[in-house]
Amino acid sequence: MSDRENWFIDELERRGVSRREFLGFCTVMTSALALPAALSARVAKAIQGAEKPVLVWLEFQDCCGNTESFLRAARPTVADIVLDTLSVDYHETIMAAAGTQAEEALRTVVGDKKGQYLVVVEGSIPTFESGAYCTIGGRAAIDIAREVCGGAAATIAMGTCAAYGGLPAAAPNPTGALSVRDAVPGIKNLVNLPACPANAENITALLVHYLTFKYWPPLDEFGRPLFAYGQLIHDNCERRAHYDAGQYVEAWGDEGHRTGYCLYKMGCKGPVTFQNCPRVRWNEGTNWPIGCGHPCVGCAEPDFWDKMTPFYNHLQGPPFLGPGYTVDRVGVAATAGIAAAFATHGLISYIKRSREKPEPAPATPQSTDAKKGDAV
Amino acid sequence: MIQDQPLAETVRVYVWEWPVRVCHWLIAGSIAVMAVTGLYIANPGPITTGLASQRSLMGLVKLIHYSTAIVFGIAVISRIWWMFAGNNYARWDKFVPASTKRWKALGPTLGYYLFRLRKPPGFVGHNPLAGLAYTIVFAVYLIMLGTGLAMYSVSAHVGSPLRWFTFLVPWFGGLSTARWLHHGFMWMLIGFAVHHVYSAVLMSQVEANATVESIFSGYKFVPREDLVYSGYRFIDRKDTRG
Repeated sequence: MSDRENWFIDELERRGVSRREFLGFCTVMTSALALPAALSARVAKAIQGAEKPVLVWLEFQDCCGNTESFLRAARPTVADIVLDTLSVDYHETIMAAAGTQAEEALRTVVGDKKGQYLVVVEGSIPTFESGAYCTIGGRAAIDIAREVCGGAAATIAMGTCAAYGGLPAAAPNPTGALSVRDAVPGIKNLVNLPACPANAENITALLVHYLTFKYWPPLDEFGRPLFAYGQLIHDNCERRAHYDAGQYVEAWGDEGHRTGYCLYKMGCKGPVTFQNCPRVRWNEGTNWPIGCGHPCVGCAEPDFWDKMTPFYNHLQGPPFLGPGYTVDRVGVAATAGIAAAFATHGLISYIKRSREKPEPAPATPQSTDAKKGDAV
Repeated sequence: MIQDQPLAETVRVYVWEWPVRVCHWLIAGSIAVMAVTGLYIANPGPITTGLASQRSLMGLVKLIHYSTAIVFGIAVISRIWWMFAGNNYARWDKFVPASTKRWKALGPTLGYYLFRLRKPPGFVGHNPLAGLAYTIVFAVYLIMLGTGLAMYSVSAHVGSPLRWFTFLVPWFGGLSTARWLHHGFMWMLIGFAVHHVYSAVLMSQVEANATVESIFSGYKFVPREDLVYSGYRFIDRKDTRG
């Protein structure tokens, strides 16, 4: 048994985690990744014996929500130890070092471990005013991102801001915020892990996959791992039966809401959002938004602040009109307007034609009017 | 060429062949069904009671919507095919105002609608303005089919060929925007239906050529001089079959 494996078992004991619990965790991770159960032994071996990959955690235009989501587990878990198998050399929020010391840590990683370290990016990257909207140690976020992500073995864009631009990039995007993919041209081995915040279970599973296989799991066209973003929330929702039955919450606190009916009419974006929330849930599997009676807001989708709002209406409003207008209201008004316009047109046509009748017939018998009259 | 002559100067012309008429009514009927079911899907009204496992109102309405969409899709594609296979009046160039003659007649036709002219320029089939409107409407049909397929594809069952259409989702700006477009363009089609029925009745009256009846029978009664006036140099056997 290698020193590394010994260290790991000691570490488990020190934290009061039994080996059984650890193997259980490996099985859960294997199934979360939709891998065959037989691979859980390989996962366990990989976690125990992995070389400590260096991880750098960058924060740009963010709210620290992903860090919070990640760190605020309800109880210490085996997942924490998996994190400890990574050497987190730079994390603005949690590192003890500050100032030049901290910057030195980052410089050392980028300089000495080129092409070997992992990067997690949280937050979007501003580009307007030469990137002045977000600077760290006097350097623009975009320069840091290009240097650090450019030299990394792989990058995880964690949270909707890093993955798609998120809130800072919502219209009118005053800072010119970009996602990591757009801000770092030619970035290699990028995984997008959107959601606001990203689910801690998913990043743990993603890292376990990387430690086990040294490459990312299959991704979709948005760079999202399919094991977490392969299916619609709607299709795995625990309230789906109520949707198909035609049983909906009509108002907060009504009988349907208390009974657990479908939240579709309250603006639920489950039918247009890809995430595995119904399966993995949040806060150690305690619950999730729809489970506790709130509609999904579609936080894992691109441009969700622009495209998923209003959150409590399942369709966007019409363009150029203020809030309070719905597509249906405009549609009914437009249809009524068209009907009224044509009714008026018909009336004018009728009056005009009835006035023409007394006029003397045109001289030539080939006149169209004469013929028209005859044909009617 | 002249089938019967209720008036000496009126020519009976076979304008709409049966595929045109059948497609027309399939499209009209399926849009009506899909608008009603679609409005329910967007804003489900009556709430069913009882065990969810024993009710499937939304499920049923969606099934009707999807099934009707198949009819609609086949009818639209058939009609587009007939734009290249059908007679002179069904052709694509009666939709897109590609010819100089039809392009120049757009203004006068609009002028007629705005009471600037007493009579629209004579065209036996679609007038240029109507043709242009139908071009836009067919584009809307394709958007409706595209957004519908995009939304369906993401939940299509494993192994379904409809899964292939997931590539359409980013084309329409994501599922949420696709749903919004699908809903908004439904209202455009409802508005178009109002206009379409009114214009058909109006033209039927003004041109006295049985425009409304023609979508049932296929025949229009056209003053002989209109055929000359509109620049149709001849109506040969191909165009006046029957």
